[in-house]
Amino acid sequence: MRLILPVGLIATTLAIAPVRFDREKVFRVKPQDEKQADIIKDLAKTNELDFWYPSATHHVAANMMVDFRVSEKESQAIQSALDQNKMHYEILIHDLQEEIEKQFDVKEDIPGRHSYAKYNNWEKIVAWTEKMMDKHPEMVSRIKIGSTVEDNPLYVLKATKTYGRNKIMTKLLDQMNFYILPVFNVDGYIWSWTKNRMWRKNRSKNQNSKCIGTDLNRNFNASWNSIPNTNDPCADNYRGSAPESEKETKAITNFIRSHLNEIKVYITFHSYSQMLLFPYGYTSKLPPNHEDLAKVAKIGTDVLSTRYETRYIYGPIESTIYPISGSSLDWAYDLGIKHTFAFELRDKGKFGFLLPESRIKPTCRETMLAVKFIAKYILKHTS
Amino acid sequence: MQPRRQRLPAPWSGPRGPRPTALLLALLLLLAPVVAPAGSGGPDDPGQPQDAGVPRRLLQQAARAALHFFNFRSGSPSALRVLAEVQEGRAWMNPKEGCKVHVVFSTERYNPESLLQEREGRLGKCSARVFFKNQKPRPTINVTCTRLIEKKKRQQEDYLLYKQMKQLKNPLEIVSIPDNHGHIDPSLRPIWDLAFLGSSYVMWEMTTQVSHYYLAQLTSVRQWKTNDDTIDFDYTVLLHELSTQEIIPCRIHLVWYPGKPLKVKYHCQELQTPEEASGTEEGSAVVPTELSNF
Repeated sequence: MRLILPVGLIATTLAIAPVRFDREKVFRVKPQDEKQADIIKDLAKTNELDFWYPSATHHVAANMMVDFRVSEKESQAIQSALDQNKMHYEILIHDLQEEIEKQFDVKEDIPGRHSYAKYNNWEKIVAWTEKMMDKHPEMVSRIKIGSTVEDNPLYVLKATKTYGRNKIMTKLLDQMNFYILPVFNVDGYIWSWTKNRMWRKNRSKNQNSKCIGTDLNRNFNASWNSIPNTNDPCADNYRGSAPESEKETKAITNFIRSHLNEIKVYITFHSYSQMLLFPYGYTSKLPPNHEDLAKVAKIGTDVLSTRYETRYIYGPIESTIYPISGSSLDWAYDLGIKHTFAFELRDKGKFGFLLPESRIKPTCRETMLAVKFIAKYILKHTS
Repeated sequence: MQPRRQRLPAPWSGPRGPRPTALLLALLLLLAPVVAPAGSGGPDDPGQPQDAGVPRRLLQQAARAALHFFNFRSGSPSALRVLAEVQEGRAWMNPKEGCKVHVVFSTERYNPESLLQEREGRLGKCSARVFFKNQKPRPTINVTCTRLIEKKKRQQEDYLLYKQMKQLKNPLEIVSIPDNHGHIDPSLRPIWDLAFLGSSYVMWEMTTQVSHYYLAQLTSVRQWKTNDDTIDFDYTVLLHELSTQEIIPCRIHLVWYPGKPLKVKYHCQELQTPEEASGTEEGSAVVPTELSNF
């Protein structure tokens, strides 16, 4: 039944002006008795509910599935009303526009070009950074902060003011610069495309070992050698021969140190687990402003969940995920950046590292909500 | 369906543990040394209690182990579950023996490519007692869960999966499932579901207080002809261990028939280091018909 209606809707929209259903939701409710059925009928009077099943309000009765579409704005009111009346419901579709587009398998991607809906190899990512600079020269500039073991460039994009399309972003960019490092472990990333999909470390050679690579996120100078299991060059979490022994690590730490006065927040993105983490990993002691960090993390994860109901947990690294030493998060915090966060993005293990491409855009959209919140919070609360 | 507000109450989503009334406070001091890895030698005093409460990760560890065991024991590739949320739990430490955890958690159906993504249908609820024997694998599990899917429906789906498997053309020319971009061809889903079922046994056996695993990818599959209508296949999986970030290849041999106990044999590769001889994890099992020893 559901499959027919979207096509029906699309047929109409093609004939008139393009109608969109961005972030519109489809609810499913099963009224348990006449009283609950009446509640739905009442809601239909005061809100614009487009019934998918049954076809009209007056057919709504007890003990049947009732499906209806509602705008993003009204969905909040609907949810409160259902909650208040202790009625169970399910959100079948979080963003109708997305589902419609998925059905068409929208090929906005031209093979060979960067796509926001696909995984892009390193070449495409570099080409994309160039395109960003070309298209938005007043807003985006690219900085080379160093190079990798295999002499690939490490690029940071600086995003500054004069945005315009999104009100919140404009406001943020008016008062803050964003430095964005799209890929940190470039050599490892390339290797994962060409030789071993599960490769984690960089590609530096280790003395006295046939095994290659250091885990860059164990290589920072933050209680670097306090956890013994990161000392084996053949292990996937090898810490390296010394703190900041790796070219890539050095490039980042130099960049951050030289901009330390400007930097108010450090955010690092990883996968997977759906967690928002803050220091510390190398100790179970909590950082002095842990209450503040927890508050930001709580609201950030709440905001993230408003989009697709993706649930994140949050907390300090050590007790939430596992103890780790030498992480960039702990290092940045101890250096003096008092708001540092690590996102472990989707999912929780069903696909893990092999997250299907169809999840890329939704993941980005929801994550951006959290990032924008964090940025807004920092603007409000720090001098 | 659960209303959107169905969430852990505030204390749980925070770094602090569950409400103090749920804990045996006297034993908290014993928790701290065990939850840091052995010999961590960190700058903090291991005797100093953490911020009141069982570290969330220990409860998650226990919930995962319980779920792997539950999935294996169910013997049904259509009734697989994954962890939704830990709701509450307690832990008891005994430095000589190990760690006992009682945990209550919610689950959802495992369905890799459902339209509804993570919000597929109802949430099941489980209660488990997990005993981790001092960093040793194969935790003892006692777990019960509310039913998530009607028995008849489950049997039907199992049988459908069985038929799909039987219709696959051999030799199967499969490079990997999912492919490197996370895609699983719908015709190959039954293979994945069955592999996940078999891997649950392996992951249960290998889980400790510290190590936990996810199935990352199948890298080879081979199905054998049988005389007795069972599904018999060999596959290689990559397991991802979170605390060390290791990717561990395992060979698994599995024999299955809908409604019958699952038979699993496996062999996982240990981390190869130049200094140590390579070790292997090996194990095999048949779902016991009496569960009196658990």
